[in-house]
Amino acid sequence: MKSNLFLQSVSPVKTADDLPLLKVRGLTKRYGQKQILDIDKLDLYAGQAVLLSGKNGAGKSTLMKILAGIERYNEGSLYYKEDRNKEDQARHQRFLQFSFLRKKLSLSNGIIYLHQHPFLFDISVRDNLAYGLKCQRMAKKQQAQIVQKALNWSGLEHLADRNAKTLSGGEMQRIALARAWVLDPKLLLLDEPTANMDTESREQTSFLIRRLINQGTGVVICSHETKPDNRLIDRVLHLDNGKLIESSRAELNQTRSPDNETSLPKTRAAIKPCKDLL
Amino acid sequence: MGDLTQTSLEALLLLVTGDTELWSIIRVSFSTTLKAILLATPVAFLISFILSIARFPGRWFLISLFNTLLGVPTVIVGLLLYLLLSRSGPFGDLRLLFTEPAMILGQILIALPLLVAMGLAAFEGADRRAWETTRTLGAGPVRAMLTLMYEVRFGLAAAGTAAYGRIISEVGCAMMVGGNILNYTRTIPTAIALETSKGEFAQGIALGMVLLLLALGLNFGVSIMQRRGEIY
Repeated sequence: MKSNLFLQSVSPVKTADDLPLLKVRGLTKRYGQKQILDIDKLDLYAGQAVLLSGKNGAGKSTLMKILAGIERYNEGSLYYKEDRNKEDQARHQRFLQFSFLRKKLSLSNGIIYLHQHPFLFDISVRDNLAYGLKCQRMAKKQQAQIVQKALNWSGLEHLADRNAKTLSGGEMQRIALARAWVLDPKLLLLDEPTANMDTESREQTSFLIRRLINQGTGVVICSHETKPDNRLIDRVLHLDNGKLIESSRAELNQTRSPDNETSLPKTRAAIKPCKDLL
Repeated sequence: MGDLTQTSLEALLLLVTGDTELWSIIRVSFSTTLKAILLATPVAFLISFILSIARFPGRWFLISLFNTLLGVPTVIVGLLLYLLLSRSGPFGDLRLLFTEPAMILGQILIALPLLVAMGLAAFEGADRRAWETTRTLGAGPVRAMLTLMYEVRFGLAAAGTAAYGRIISEVGCAMMVGGNILNYTRTIPTAIALETSKGEFAQGIALGMVLLLLALGLNFGVSIMQRRGEIY
């Protein structure tokens, strides 16, 4: 079952013409009297890489946590495209409204949030990678196989039996990405994934993010940097005073540096498909 | 000084020769306290966990209540239970007074506030990201709670140790609801109080040694665990 999911994940990437994976309508979030978020409309699509920019304290992390279902919101609705049965999905393409949970935690299916400094449990790297699979009550043998693939995928086989708390920041980020990868997420919410990293760690982490994007995972990358790495990005959203402002494609292209385009082209074929590793 | 040395040697002799009366007291003590701590701990940690994660009206009142109950003397708990369980009390028909279950009930009431307060401190000291990570990776509330408990295991172990130390050494409640009946409800602290009042110091010192060794052993164990935790 899991291997089928992995094979599906390398199928052609959905475009913005498809129905959105996640729809947000009229979302508000307040801390006391202070309004943090006031978002009329936001649609996120599978296979799209979105940059969420904004100043420190603008509410980017809060928004991402709300989208992941781990933070409450005050008003509004979030809709997640139902995909429990993929055959049915092709016929009906309907939305599953999960605001019936009364604006409380609305845990998503296939949406994973990664903290700026990822939290790894005080167990081995291997057990960290298996955590989500255990939650799915997968057979141990199958878990072990997928964890091994994840170790290969992230290039961290040599750390498999180390306690995860002993790793460096860059290694932790890569393990956290691999831990999300094993769950085959539809949408990955990355909170400043390369902040405070040295060049090498930043490149290694960016490489893994590109691999996720190229295998069809929708990614939202949050950053407060004014000149983000646009090599990864399809779409830019800016959060200012709680409102979301979308940059046009032209604006995005203008900010792209020619050097970046040539050094790391954003073509899906440019990265070795993940399928080869499976 | 000479008397003290001689009495201590007599106490050691009682311990190593397996004095029936002495070991019966030790058995009753461990039997009641272990049952009490095993019953109180899961409930207390569940309450701590809910108080640390959930936000609901009255949360601060409950936290304040448990913190306040920390300061209630054990003899007051004993008095309250005595009134409730005595023949003329509302639960008199249960005939629990001067029985082991009554002592266990008293020890649970004494341990619970300490376990809740220290458990809450441990959970609140945990990294918020731990909870969010478990949930975003698909863990249900129970698995997420167990994961979080593992992450704060040293704090919880310290809470359990402190609570156990409190109930095995308390004398007021055990005396009032247990009645200090040999082989049934006589525990180490109540026996020490009784034997000392009778001038039988040897048994008192022997039982004191057991309590002291237990306290030192438990704290040493927690220190080793904490040390292991710090290595990572």
